[in-house]
Amino acid sequence: MGSVPLAHYLALGSALFAVGFAALLVRRNALVVFMGVELMLNAANMTFLAFSRAHQTMSGQAAAFFVIAVAAAEAAVGLAIMIALVRNRNTLNVDEVDTLKY
Amino acid sequence: MPKYSSADILGLAPALVLIVGALTLLLLEVFQESEKRGYQAWFTAIVAAIASLVALPMLDGEAHRILLTQDGLFFAVADRFGGAMAIVVAAGLALSALTAGAFLGARKAERGEFYALAMFAASGMVLLAQATDLLMIFVALEIMSISTYALAAYLRRGMRTTEAAFKYFILGAFSTALYIYGVALVYGATGGQTGLQQVAEAASEGSLLLMAGVAFVAAGFFFKVAAAPFHMWTPDVYEGAPTPVTAFMAAGVKAAAFAALFRVFTVAFGSEDVALHGWMNVVVVLAILTMVVGNLLAIPQRSVKRLLAYSSIAHAGYLMAAIAAAANPEVRAAAGEGLLYYLATYTFAGIGAFAVVAALERQGAEGPLMWDLDRFAGLARVRPALAMAMGLFLLSLAGIPPTAGFMGKLLIFRAAVDAKLYGLVIFGVLTSLVGVYYYLRVVVYMYMREREPSVGELPAPRLAMGVALALAAIGTLILGIVPGFFGEIARASTLALGG
Repeated sequence: MGSVPLAHYLALGSALFAVGFAALLVRRNALVVFMGVELMLNAANMTFLAFSRAHQTMSGQAAAFFVIAVAAAEAAVGLAIMIALVRNRNTLNVDEVDTLKY
Repeated sequence: MPKYSSADILGLAPALVLIVGALTLLLLEVFQESEKRGYQAWFTAIVAAIASLVALPMLDGEAHRILLTQDGLFFAVADRFGGAMAIVVAAGLALSALTAGAFLGARKAERGEFYALAMFAASGMVLLAQATDLLMIFVALEIMSISTYALAAYLRRGMRTTEAAFKYFILGAFSTALYIYGVALVYGATGGQTGLQQVAEAASEGSLLLMAGVAFVAAGFFFKVAAAPFHMWTPDVYEGAPTPVTAFMAAGVKAAAFAALFRVFTVAFGSEDVALHGWMNVVVVLAILTMVVGNLLAIPQRSVKRLLAYSSIAHAGYLMAAIAAAANPEVRAAAGEGLLYYLATYTFAGIGAFAVVAALERQGAEGPLMWDLDRFAGLARVRPALAMAMGLFLLSLAGIPPTAGFMGKLLIFRAAVDAKLYGLVIFGVLTSLVGVYYYLRVVVYMYMREREPSVGELPAPRLAMGVALALAAIGTLILGIVPGFFGEIARASTLALGG
């Protein structure tokens, strides 16, 4: 049993990033869009951890903790904003949030 | 373990003052009756003044590395650049807090959270300008951004406000994800480094992985500073957010993000291979694109608030020109001087212009008519001082001497000429001329049109607004007439940074 090579982790990380980005672009529900952003943050975590193991430095592990903590704070404010949005308009569909136009 | 010293505390003093001020305000809120509110704006302005006073020692003397470990790692530095930016941020905070005092007071929406959030955001901005580690920049960026999302959503009953806050939040979170993924790639490419100097040592030659990381980090920053083609969110968010918050976002957030962008790109990614043969050409193209898009799309706007939003994109373009010039190590100091000076001038003139918009904003109605050009028609007859202040801010934004904006543009274009980016300068000057058209159109409305009765009554003048406008006007004039004063500070600070 050999260990998993670095490239596999990096590929997984970039795949997660791509999936998150696709969700951000394609999905119409605001919550799912936000989940896409969270996936992208976790892709960064995955990459940090993979490099941290490959280079035998612990700072990457610490970085992942920072990202998790910040993502939690972001979610708290973001979900509050979405609640305000639902109260005002009764929808979470991003296509219907279009009062401000060019 | 790093050893703490009093110098470390002193180096972080501006941010600490802002955080303590925010916590004090939150505690005071508990004991206040709702009629007695209205002191918070002045309180915030005083805290901002103290923060800029404790930043003064940073302006002379040597750079102090905060919490330096034995391995030579440090997460932030107290240097001239950080000190100068702290003063700029504090000025922006004070001006927008006073504007908010008048704006929210008129809408009976004054609560301490607003000012506490503004102070927390400002502490993040100060840290962002001082941070010297990609991870610390991430944390500071988020302290600033999360507070600003909440500020943008502050008037949560309005349709437009929540929509603006939502858009700002989603795109802000997205840009953060881009940035941190880029940091992860840089971390891998440099063998496990996130400190800017360590990254620079490990990454003197651009590998593919490193350049990918640089691209993601840059994209994250470009979203924050609203450079084209990452600017789509800006007009909507700036129009929908409460006007004082828009002023704060346009000046403070942008200034802090540009300061961090400058530090990251010159210190960590500043080697010849990564800068001159790497990101410089991309930044040049984006700078031209931003100047063109911002200025051209501002022309058809009738809503003055939206016009100023597009104009802030255009100003991001001029600041990007300074970043592009900084790719050349020989003109780096001059480019940084221009950047810092421009940020200072935009803080006064930009916030001032948004403050006038806030002072004239129609209450009760929702829609673009709240800031329509017609509300400015004949303003010079009714409120001569207000019209004069607005005229001054607009001339500064257009870059006409003797106002501050002229000096800022001059310094940046001079740096770009030294860096032999002639095409960039030509585009910069031409788009500035376009800018003169739409800025002066507002002036024409104020001075040469008759007031139409259909636009409704103007809100009553308020003391806090008057003080904010007076301070912004004085700042705009001083930076324009006595450029040596802040120019010396700006030059000295970027000399140390650029090597």
